[in-house]
Amino acid sequence: MIEVKGVEKRYGLKKILKGVSFTANKGEITCLIGINGVGKTTILKAIMALTPFQKGQILIDGKPIDKHSFEKITFIPDSLTMLPNMTINEAMEFMKDFYTCWNQKRANELLGFFRLDPSNRISSLSKGNTAKVNLLLGLALDVDYVLMDEPFSGIDLFSREEIANVFTSHLIENRGVIITTHEIGDIEHLLDKVVLLDDGLVTKEFSAEEAREKEGKSVIDVMREVYQK
Amino acid sequence: MNVNFNNRDPVYLQIVRYFKEKIAIGELEPGQEIPSRRELANRMKVNPNTAQRAYKEMEEQGLIYTEKNHPSKITTDNKILGQVRTELLVEAVDQFVTSVRSINVPVEELLDLVKEKYTENSEKEV
Repeated sequence: MIEVKGVEKRYGLKKILKGVSFTANKGEITCLIGINGVGKTTILKAIMALTPFQKGQILIDGKPIDKHSFEKITFIPDSLTMLPNMTINEAMEFMKDFYTCWNQKRANELLGFFRLDPSNRISSLSKGNTAKVNLLLGLALDVDYVLMDEPFSGIDLFSREEIANVFTSHLIENRGVIITTHEIGDIEHLLDKVVLLDDGLVTKEFSAEEAREKEGKSVIDVMREVYQK
Repeated sequence: MNVNFNNRDPVYLQIVRYFKEKIAIGELEPGQEIPSRRELANRMKVNPNTAQRAYKEMEEQGLIYTEKNHPSKITTDNKILGQVRTELLVEAVDQFVTSVRSINVPVEELLDLVKEKYTENSEKEV
């Protein structure tokens, strides 16, 4: 379980996170939703210790993050961070050198799944395929938790569907996933838990199935209630 | 297995309903093996946890049964199979009655119309 407890974060004088708390379980897909600038990416970065925060605590399976945690949790940023003149093969080689949990078998499976040619240079790929390579490099790690920042933004419908298919496959099963998005439509049926953020705070944390079962509301209905007061 | 889910009913219940419909029309036969939870999640594009929950619900209702280390199968219990058919039928008729009641037609006239439409449609399909 990832526990975020009362995290406060300032960039200079600007307060971005004003005491964010939520949990994300292993084996579940948790979605952080909020408009741009609300601090979604900052939260993911804080979980990965990529940015310092002033107050609060983040625990992964009950322990604060340390250097060993990076074999247990991975962050897939919204854009690919590999050098553009690398081929996909070279990028995979690069990951293998840095992570002992790199799983080449799964990487090959993902290559097939996304129909990517590993000899292609990253700079020559379309936006959709670049996003798929980005996901591949993250998902091929044998980690318990995957954080994904906006995996669907700026991607065409069919690539979005392909990416959404990953979520229902064994490639994700049993892992804990935190995903940020504002395009909820495509993945509404895939989510276990939704965390709504507004103005640096969690305004609502709920189970998607429970909202349907107990209140007959879709995730979007709940969002409307929360954001259009 | 293309299902159009609506967003307001629990997805797991929509899956259960899908299975009931397939059982009622005989597309799924008694004793027939059904896909594994993981496979179902993948085919229906739902969360594996949701598929798991749907199967649990169906097991509790006696619609499917699972023996150790075997794929789950549709029940062969005729009583339950009969119930499924009745349940879907009663539900559909209830809906029909609710919407027709507001028009206030005598029951005989309504039944004649139902008979006419029902036979007309089935002739067309043949």
